[in-house]
Amino acid sequence: MPSKYSYQPCREFNVVVLGAGGVGKSCLTAQFVHNEWIESYDPTIEDSYRTQISVDGRQVVLEILDTAGTEQFVAMRDLYMKTGHGFMLVFSISSRTSFDELQTLRDDIIRIRDDEKIPIVIVGNKADLEDQRAVDRAKAFALSQRWDAPYYEASARTRTNVDEAFTDLCRQMLRRDDSEEEAREEILAQRAENLAAKRRRRRKRKEKCAIL
Amino acid sequence: MATLSGRGMRTSLQVAPLTIQKSRGTSRSRGSDQADSSSNGFSDTQMTPPATPNGAQEDHNVHSDSEPVFHNFLRAFYPFQPSPVMTDSTVTLPLNEGDVVLVHSIHTNGWADGTLLLTGARGWLPTNYCDAYNPEEMRSLLKALLNFWDLMRSTSVTDETFGSQEFMKGIIAGVRYLLRTDCLTRESPLVQRHDGLRRSRKSLLSELSSLVKTAKRLQDAQRIPGQEDINDIVDEMILRAFKIIVKGVRFLDILDEDRKLRVPTVTILTTLLEEAYAPLTPPAESAAFDSTEEPTPDAGSRSGENNDATDTAPLAASEVAQDTTAANDRLSSIHLQTIDVRRLSQCSQVQTNRLSSTVSHRVSLAGFSSVLRPQNLVSERLNTCHDIFLSHLGSFIGRLQLQSQSRPSLALAIKQSATSGGELLFVVDIVCAQSSMSMDALEQSRITMYDRIMGLVHTARDILTNPGPEVEEDVIVPQDNGRLLGAATGCVKATGECVAKARWVIERIGDFEFEFDGGNLGINFDLSALDCFSEEKDRFNGSELESIAESTASEALSVSTVTSTAAPAITSEPTLSIDKPLPEVPQVASPVTEQPAPYPNRPTAQQSSHVTTAFSVVSTASSVRGDLTQLPKISTSPPSTDNYSPTQHSATQDSEFHSFRTESITTLSSGSGRTYLSRDSESSIVSQSSTRATTPDITQGPRNQPSISNLSVAESSAQTEEVDDVESKLLERTYAHELMFNKEGQVTGGSLAALVERLTTHESTPDAMFVSTFYLTFRLFCTPVNLAEALIDRFDYAGEAPHVAVPVRLRTYNVFKGWLESHWRDETDRDALPMIKEFAEVKLTAALPQAGKRLFELAEKVSLSGGTLVPRLVSSMGKASTSTAHYLPADTPLPSPVITRSQLNMLANWKAGSSSPSILDFDPLELARQLTIKQMGLFCSITPEELLGSKWTKLGGIGAPNVKAMSSFTTSLSNLVADSILYYEEVKKRALAIKHWIKIANQCSLLHNYDALMAITCALTDTSIKRLKITWDSVSVKRKEMLKSLQASVDINQNYKVLRAQLHDQVPPCLPFLGMFLTDLTFVDVGNPATKTSDTGLTVINFDKHTRTAKIISELQRFQIPYRLTELPHLQEWLNSEIERVREKDKAGSNAQATHYRKSLLLEPREAQQLRSVVDTSPTTAPAATGGGMFGWIRSNNTSHNLSPQI
Repeated sequence: MPSKYSYQPCREFNVVVLGAGGVGKSCLTAQFVHNEWIESYDPTIEDSYRTQISVDGRQVVLEILDTAGTEQFVAMRDLYMKTGHGFMLVFSISSRTSFDELQTLRDDIIRIRDDEKIPIVIVGNKADLEDQRAVDRAKAFALSQRWDAPYYEASARTRTNVDEAFTDLCRQMLRRDDSEEEAREEILAQRAENLAAKRRRRRKRKEKCAIL
Repeated sequence: MATLSGRGMRTSLQVAPLTIQKSRGTSRSRGSDQADSSSNGFSDTQMTPPATPNGAQEDHNVHSDSEPVFHNFLRAFYPFQPSPVMTDSTVTLPLNEGDVVLVHSIHTNGWADGTLLLTGARGWLPTNYCDAYNPEEMRSLLKALLNFWDLMRSTSVTDETFGSQEFMKGIIAGVRYLLRTDCLTRESPLVQRHDGLRRSRKSLLSELSSLVKTAKRLQDAQRIPGQEDINDIVDEMILRAFKIIVKGVRFLDILDEDRKLRVPTVTILTTLLEEAYAPLTPPAESAAFDSTEEPTPDAGSRSGENNDATDTAPLAASEVAQDTTAANDRLSSIHLQTIDVRRLSQCSQVQTNRLSSTVSHRVSLAGFSSVLRPQNLVSERLNTCHDIFLSHLGSFIGRLQLQSQSRPSLALAIKQSATSGGELLFVVDIVCAQSSMSMDALEQSRITMYDRIMGLVHTARDILTNPGPEVEEDVIVPQDNGRLLGAATGCVKATGECVAKARWVIERIGDFEFEFDGGNLGINFDLSALDCFSEEKDRFNGSELESIAESTASEALSVSTVTSTAAPAITSEPTLSIDKPLPEVPQVASPVTEQPAPYPNRPTAQQSSHVTTAFSVVSTASSVRGDLTQLPKISTSPPSTDNYSPTQHSATQDSEFHSFRTESITTLSSGSGRTYLSRDSESSIVSQSSTRATTPDITQGPRNQPSISNLSVAESSAQTEEVDDVESKLLERTYAHELMFNKEGQVTGGSLAALVERLTTHESTPDAMFVSTFYLTFRLFCTPVNLAEALIDRFDYAGEAPHVAVPVRLRTYNVFKGWLESHWRDETDRDALPMIKEFAEVKLTAALPQAGKRLFELAEKVSLSGGTLVPRLVSSMGKASTSTAHYLPADTPLPSPVITRSQLNMLANWKAGSSSPSILDFDPLELARQLTIKQMGLFCSITPEELLGSKWTKLGGIGAPNVKAMSSFTTSLSNLVADSILYYEEVKKRALAIKHWIKIANQCSLLHNYDALMAITCALTDTSIKRLKITWDSVSVKRKEMLKSLQASVDINQNYKVLRAQLHDQVPPCLPFLGMFLTDLTFVDVGNPATKTSDTGLTVINFDKHTRTAKIISELQRFQIPYRLTELPHLQEWLNSEIERVREKDKAGSNAQATHYRKSLLLEPREAQQLRSVVDTSPTTAPAATGGGMFGWIRSNNTSHNLSPQI
């Protein structure tokens, strides 16, 4: 049974951007999906948050789910977290609380996805506001190591590391997707094996019955 | 002298292209290559269109140095003539050098789909023949044209956009921007000094004025439908707008030329050299010419590039033969037209232009830049003649009433009137001829007018020649006075009608230029009878009126022969009647042009001779670069021959007529060339060749000094009223050029001043959306003080334009009033109050006392009340159109509440202090209703201001209390759902609660309460609930299916695609999901910059961003209409207490989600699940991509459900 993925040249992933209000995560998203040729950005159309990027020569379509504006609808967070294949956890380097909130977000993700290895990227936004830094780089790196998730200091304003962070996340998702596929195929193969074995057994049993 | 040499310059400039050297100068290499390619294209009639333009190496050059930017306008730097083969299959546009093209699209093969502004013809053209055209001065105008084009093309004409002249503003501002240089006023020194500039400016303005007039007609046509086809008018307007650009381009050319001139450059020596060598290479066919007696070898030796043109040689050669006998080599050059007139025309024009652009110091030699064509607009002429005629008749009638008239004075008056009437008729005839479409109406009124004038003349003659017996002396008796009076008034009336018709026709066909001479031109009446009474001895010819040709014949040579253009007549001795200037044969009504024959329109020598004579004496001084091409294959002529004599020389060395002749030929040929270009099958060569004067100016290179004849006409003809009108409009201070528009004609950007101007426009009631957007969002892009300043400034400068001052000032007052009454926000706007008060007291009171008083009162009130005075109608954006009544008539009976006595008792008991009822105790429908009432109350209280600038996310949402209340209610509702399910220990009860909530959600969905629907489905799919597998197993498949479809309708994927679609078609009452609007607003806010750069490099407010914001808000407001449902106070109270309860829990405990999850784990421990999943052997976490996103869990639930029996 061939996997349907092997026929899909272009993969599609949902990326969920999470973070406290005011950390500028929507700026990151807007920067990332904004097509420079479009004079003005209309967020009300279907593919406002859809973009295609190329990662290591592979075309990937990303659908960005951004909770911007709806942070107050706490109940929806679960909904977002369920849909994501990868998560971008954003804090502002100028806000300590926004950094602290990441822990809760990650706990929720792990709980909801029941998966420790879900692709995550940590982004310290507003890197251009170095003079207002409230979160030490070391602290952020420590968190990054603890979670085994890459950390980027980005700036939506200067468009630094925006694409890089998304690309990294994409790479993680692709890698995971590949290994999952393998695992799935393994399972399927095993299941087919099991089924065949069962049938054999049953047939044997039937044969026995017939003899009996 | 200056004029004379200018004149000479003009001639030589036109001729110059034909003397072009191919093999010299580096700058020409490109041109010669091109010539080759184009000649290849021509002679081989290439089958593959792209080959022609792309075949040339230049393609790369052109594209490499231009950025990969889409250029909206291209300007041909080289002529392009599609070969017949090409034109057969596709519509390929011929290009003249200097033609400006509006590009619609560019194919990768280098062909562009474009519209030639000159003619409005659309087709394919090779981009490598063109350069991007976007000079700074024109930028605003070009942008305006783009907007105009988009608007006229995309908007339905019934649209109210056209109800005002608003959409014209861009163009006017564009012209203003162009003239802004130094030429805004007629009195500016530059305009005064530079005649060509003055003319070009005038013609630009007159074009603008006719566009404005047409726009007015469009308005009229809209008011009274059926009168005129609106689409026709729209088309006409587009063409007119194109013409404005064409004129603008021309104006700029002249200006540039002038600027160059003012830079002192080269010595005369270099100039001479340049003169001889610099002209650029023309295409082979036309560039070739014989300068000497033995053309072929000469040319062959000189230019190898042109060999490919030999195919045209035989014909040309024969011409040479004939020609050389006829005149000297220069004359022979005429016959290069035998090859292809159209081609020649283009080439010659082209090179004129090119020449001018590359060797501008050549012109400096002459000391003048010269105007090529004077602008003698027929409309102007018509008006002038009409005025003169009326003034004559008027004074005549006036004198009649004085009762005593001397015979000689009567005769003189009649004569004057008749003469001027004749002139007027002549103009009318030209108009008639121009519009070959049968303008019966005009014809008719022309005849009437003619009859009336004749009648007047006859009456006068009768009276004069047959004096009554009682008459003594030279006095006319009163009875006769009556007759004369009648005849004269009849004349006035008929003339009025005729002129009106003529104007109408001119408007239809477009104004055109016509060279009038200053002399006795016009239709002549037989006034001989009068002559004896007047001192004037001028005898007029007969009163033939049949053809203009005949009338002109009285002045100059008969032009009628010209009509036989197709006849291969060969040069005759050029008649050198250096005569008065004659109009440049507009009456050459020949059908020739209708058929694009391979060798059409060989201009005959005869023709040229006539035309020659038409040129004024001035030309004696003109220099002649008379070397015209003869043979296509020969390109060069040695500079040694007198042909190459620079201007000064030729004046002495060469006979003038050569130059005349050559000029006339170019003129003619260009006329015919244009005919070819034209798609208007109806237009005759007459119209073409005369419109030529208006149209091809860009192709004609520098327009410099006008001829004397033109000058005289121009001086005599007063500026028309319309031009004045437009001028005064232009002189108005305006910021309209600082506005930016989108394709729909909506403002997308602008400086504050420009936006304020738009807000207070006098021409129309400002666009409602624009006004409400402005009021709603202005604090995001300026301070209230800025706004007050801008408004006051607007009030001030409106005074500069008296005719708009009053309406503009009133509007300014109204803007202040609206602000104070309905949009005042004291906390931010207070700063502006002193300024507004002062304005009201001083300036406004001075201009509009009443208004000043009222505004002051308002300001007082506002400062006292500290809030808005009149209930806010901002929401009018959405609400005005969707009033509650529209959807829910007030008399609709309220649905009766679904609640039983026992339920009410339960609530009463609860109030009395006994235990609280549960959700399960009430009907899902009624619960849904009460929830909806509750939520809608919150939703309706949201104000637009709360939604601006992402306020609800900042400072804990302090600036957006209602948004916060609403979102917190939604979250609490979710928590309530989870809480009420997890409340029960028994699986059965939990399943029951889930089912109940699904039913409530379903009822919410039926009520179009998407906010509650979102809250409930979110809760039901929350991990804490969804993981209760045992519980879900007890929920029926039917309910689960129901939940699935409910979820689907509030799916967040693809940017709420499903939800948006539903809302779009939804009529109120409906409660949309607030979060979606909040996300949209956030992204509009962060995704669009605050400012943008206009085409003129100005940083302006990105009004588009604010318009988008306002649109989203108005969409939200569309739903701020309460439901008509009965509120059940007790149930409401209970619901409130429930919500409050979970909210308290939320506050007390860490976070509700975590609490719920813990509870969930308690109810159905993890181990059990893991056990199950191990048994299942199905992957625990199916990737969402396979499982279908958020529904994955349902499916996995189902599968486990289905699988378990098998095991």
